[in-house]
Amino acid sequence: MEKFTLEIIQDALVAAGDEMFKTLERTSMSPIIYESLDYAVGITDSKGELLAQGNGVTAFLAALDSVVRASLEKYNEKNPLKEGDVIIANTPYAGGGTHLSDVSVVYPVFYKGELVAFTVNKAHWTELGGTFPGSVSTVATEIYQEGLHFPFIKIKSEGVLNAAVIDMIKVNVRLPDSTLGDLFAGIAAAEVGAKRVISIIEKYGLDTYKKAKNDFLDYGERMCIEALKDIPNGVYEGESIIEDNGFGEGPFPIKAKITVTDTEFIADFNGSHPQVKGATNLAFSGLVTGCRSLFKAITTPRMDANGGAFRPMKVVCEPGTIVSAQTPSAVSVYYEVMVASIDLVWKILAPLIPNKLPAGHLRSVCATFISGVHPDTKQFYIQAEPLAGGWGASCDHDGNRGQLSCGSGESYNIPIEIREMRYGIQVDQYAFHNEGGGYGEYQGGNGQYVDYKIVSDGAHVTAAFLGEKTKTWGMKGGHDGSYNYFMIIRKDGTKERYSLGTNIYLEKGDIVRCVTATGGGYGNPKDRPREQVLLDIKNGYITQKEAQEFYKVS
Amino acid sequence: MRVATDIGGTFTDLVCLEFDEKSGKPIGVKVAKSDTTPSNFEEGILDTISKGKIDLNKIDFFAHGTTVVINALTERKGAKTALITTKGFRDVLEIARCNRPDLFNFNFIKQPPFVPRYLRFEVEERMDYKGQVLTNLNISNLNSIIKSCKEENVEAIAVCLLHAYKNPDHEIKLVEELSKLFPEVEIIASYQVTREWREYERSSSTALSAYVLPIAKKYLNNLENKLKNKGLKNSPYIMQSNGGITSINDVKANPITMVESGPASGVFGAIALGKVINKKDLIVLDIGGTTAKCALVENGQVKITTNYKIEHSRIEAGYPIQTPVIDIVEIGNGGGSIAWIDEGGKMHVGPKSAGAMPGPAAYGRGGKNLTTTDANIITGRIHPDYFLGGELQPDYDSINEASKTLCETLKGSKTDIAKGIIRVANANMVNALKLISINKGHDPRDFTMVVIGGGGAMHGADLARELQISELIIPPHAGVFSAFGMLMSDIRRDYIRTNVLTLVQEQRHIIQSTFNEMEKEAIDNFKLDGYNLDDIKFTYYTDLRYVGQEHYVKVLLSDFNYDTPLETIIDFFHKEHKKQYSFELDAMVELVNFHLVAEVEVEKPDFPQMDITGKKVEDAIFDNKEVDFDDLGIHTTPFYHRDLLEPNMTIKGPAIIAEKATTTVVTPMHTVNIDAYGNLILTLQKV
Repeated sequence: MEKFTLEIIQDALVAAGDEMFKTLERTSMSPIIYESLDYAVGITDSKGELLAQGNGVTAFLAALDSVVRASLEKYNEKNPLKEGDVIIANTPYAGGGTHLSDVSVVYPVFYKGELVAFTVNKAHWTELGGTFPGSVSTVATEIYQEGLHFPFIKIKSEGVLNAAVIDMIKVNVRLPDSTLGDLFAGIAAAEVGAKRVISIIEKYGLDTYKKAKNDFLDYGERMCIEALKDIPNGVYEGESIIEDNGFGEGPFPIKAKITVTDTEFIADFNGSHPQVKGATNLAFSGLVTGCRSLFKAITTPRMDANGGAFRPMKVVCEPGTIVSAQTPSAVSVYYEVMVASIDLVWKILAPLIPNKLPAGHLRSVCATFISGVHPDTKQFYIQAEPLAGGWGASCDHDGNRGQLSCGSGESYNIPIEIREMRYGIQVDQYAFHNEGGGYGEYQGGNGQYVDYKIVSDGAHVTAAFLGEKTKTWGMKGGHDGSYNYFMIIRKDGTKERYSLGTNIYLEKGDIVRCVTATGGGYGNPKDRPREQVLLDIKNGYITQKEAQEFYKVS
Repeated sequence: MRVATDIGGTFTDLVCLEFDEKSGKPIGVKVAKSDTTPSNFEEGILDTISKGKIDLNKIDFFAHGTTVVINALTERKGAKTALITTKGFRDVLEIARCNRPDLFNFNFIKQPPFVPRYLRFEVEERMDYKGQVLTNLNISNLNSIIKSCKEENVEAIAVCLLHAYKNPDHEIKLVEELSKLFPEVEIIASYQVTREWREYERSSSTALSAYVLPIAKKYLNNLENKLKNKGLKNSPYIMQSNGGITSINDVKANPITMVESGPASGVFGAIALGKVINKKDLIVLDIGGTTAKCALVENGQVKITTNYKIEHSRIEAGYPIQTPVIDIVEIGNGGGSIAWIDEGGKMHVGPKSAGAMPGPAAYGRGGKNLTTTDANIITGRIHPDYFLGGELQPDYDSINEASKTLCETLKGSKTDIAKGIIRVANANMVNALKLISINKGHDPRDFTMVVIGGGGAMHGADLARELQISELIIPPHAGVFSAFGMLMSDIRRDYIRTNVLTLVQEQRHIIQSTFNEMEKEAIDNFKLDGYNLDDIKFTYYTDLRYVGQEHYVKVLLSDFNYDTPLETIIDFFHKEHKKQYSFELDAMVELVNFHLVAEVEVEKPDFPQMDITGKKVEDAIFDNKEVDFDDLGIHTTPFYHRDLLEPNMTIKGPAIIAEKATTTVVTPMHTVNIDAYGNLILTLQKV
């Protein structure tokens, strides 16, 4: 039966995606790629329909197919792509863009002269120049301050590397070896994928391959529509806020109206606040990516992603809002706005499908960028990473502890032992905290403290922790959780509390305490079994005082 | 006589090699199988010994592989364990690496730690990354920790302090104090388990080691005593996950090294066989009831990795154990794997397995699902008289019943579905085989494939054809090959240490001094078992990367000695990196881990050769039946008794060769030769 051959081709495409994923992970030079796995790889057909995608984070789901389509707009019939061409792009406002730090490598695959597929990847390069180390700023007002911008340019033309661009990159970034290392890792991964696609076509023939891919996309759509039936039809609305734009202004509302039918899912963000001064803006393509990840979570979480599975979803928003920002607005902290948008749709839908969506989680990437000069090697370093915190409780289990936000995924923390060797930082504690909240029949997961003591002669920190004034949300009678923030504890003991901060100077001996939120609780605390509360006390997840006050257990 | 016993999930296998008293040549192999006895594993071994009528007084060499460690872990039957760590870091074990492999499932449940928070204690102390003391060890709260442990009936304590991989002083002191004050518990510190960095992985490794320490020790003591009482003179050797055996005392000190001993010995058996028949580049595939495991052997060597995790999958992060394990890829595809259809109408095979109970539909024990084994019966590839070792006739009604839904949903005949199941199962296995070969820069066409396990011979020919591997070997006793491999293993210990340094001339001496230190540790260790320096063979590996990369490439330093120039080492690395990732960089190279392999060769028997008695190949044929070879067509195919085949015979495909524990499918594109050792060598005809 041909059916099985088609399925085997589809699995082979997914396996090729996995292989590209590994190649990029293992060869890249940026910790944010190889530890945080802040990247995605994929294969599309010749028109940019997504066939297979390997993900490290949830946030790139609309990134790969869109960047291929945008490339095809530029390299159209009048100026067609040739065998051996490789494109790079990081435009935030088009083609699945997010912020400049996320660079796509687009690799057209030819078989006997015919364009048959694209292999593509998008990864967060640690350094792309701009005003501040790590190319992220919470006080940027225009994109020009955020680093190098590659508007769908050919890094290779018919196999020849564009040496001029390489030279340009080299002199415009702070860590040229790392940046160029990431570029070559991206090209290598795409090449590996291209080879596999060609060997699949050689084995099964071009026609069968094409049939398999169309079949696969239809399969994705069928799976998705099947799952959509579990969500009650209706129109649901909600509102959330972005608290701050980095200039002490805010809050800025974001609004969403979700329409669910048996075959359609429409997320309408009209009415959200206009784009703001500062970098807490999300471009429309970033909004689509965020919506896709939530949509996938509630429809086909375990299926290999393909374009067909997103056909029933539409995102609507007028241009120029805080979730559909336009050039030249700054967007380097886009991820906070994206996670907030995901959280908004999540909160709207959770009561309808509590078996798929728990109460509110830390709702921030809590990314920190600490830069300085290593005390021993005298090399310039940038420590860039997302932080873990508490997740919300669910209808049948307590919230998870020590997990990165929903924007991350197969991302890892940086081990202390590696961190202390690589950066001028010493970790003083890495522990769950008792800042309260999350009480319920099921208790929200504890947030945590990470204390970075600066051991180099001076350093700078840039960080964005939204949720400094808004607690994570509880559900069905469960209490709200706690806050995200970071605190600088100066050598003399004075404390400064922040939500957003850019390039704050730190002296040797200063401590940056990162505090991530405890997740929201689920259900009424009085329904929590007493022995469970006693065990929580024994484990120190809650204090005796909290147990008395909120669970009436002593 | 030499005996090896291997405890598996379902069966305990025994292989015994007998020798001619005068010539010392091996004259025969005895095989015995009995049920595994999970509550009391050593009973299963004694059963096989009596079943095989083995006189322990006559055994010179007894090797043993066991699942006692992996079982204790996966069934959560280990000891109540506490962890002592550096102040400020007791939550490292629970925070873990914060990753969420089940990416889009927002309602996931994180795997809980093996040691609950109330049993995780802290002491004041701190080293920096250079191994220099920042805060001295302060044990003033040790008594209160011990008090809490006693109240909670703790049986084992793991100690893991920050940067102890670099400098274990504080761990050593702490363990010393602890053993004095609290002698009734088992104690193990991270430096005894692993000397690699990454505090979570090391904490997890140590915690899991402590967790299995009491149960494994008890088991090994019982086993040793019972065997001694039955007349065994020498202590048994124990199989480890690194493919080597070691003394029972050695493994008692750190039993976690046994965690994956079964698959390791199968691969090493294949390597030993390869040596005899002069094949050094092998792809080894072991297909069992639930899973298929594969490993790649290059130039007689298999890679050892410490990136090992239990309960790790595409949706779960798993628990790391930094212990040397041979680099194996395992997938949920075996004879019992179930075919099923998802909501979108796509058929999958595995990872769910029908197991032994109820088993495949053909068993007729109430199995309602069609499995890979059933598909092989439907296509005629398994002869009904040889089904389940001839103990049972396939239940065709049950097969028909189980295929109904699949046929209706997919609108195909039973045969269509069966062929589809085999294709999908083969495709899964091909993807796994590609992971260990093509994905790591190897061309499978340069390798010989060896298939073992009950299902290996059934699928081997199709898989080899798909990967264009021209030669496929099915050894005798493929079904108990893991036990066989133990008889062919050497004593081996792996020493791995993280010590990061840039490869520049000024650092060359550190490479030498670190390896020297590790050699000394190895020699001291081997001395305890009565071996001398002259007995030990060292092999040197380093884990290298470009400065700035995180992941490294393991590089064998062939002929490494005092004079090996740095350039040679760097050159080895560039080549290996290019091979694996298709590019090299003009960048500095950094050494991350030192890896020393210390081996003592055990005097091993030759593989027994098979007599030629002049039998005729035609006489081995016991039936002719139609067999469906899918894309190669339906053919009337002769069925042979493997027991009646002998060296120098040739069979042209299509053919089916049946034996008690397995069935070999020979496609119309293959030819079989039987070599001097009774191996079936399948050669793919050139098209």
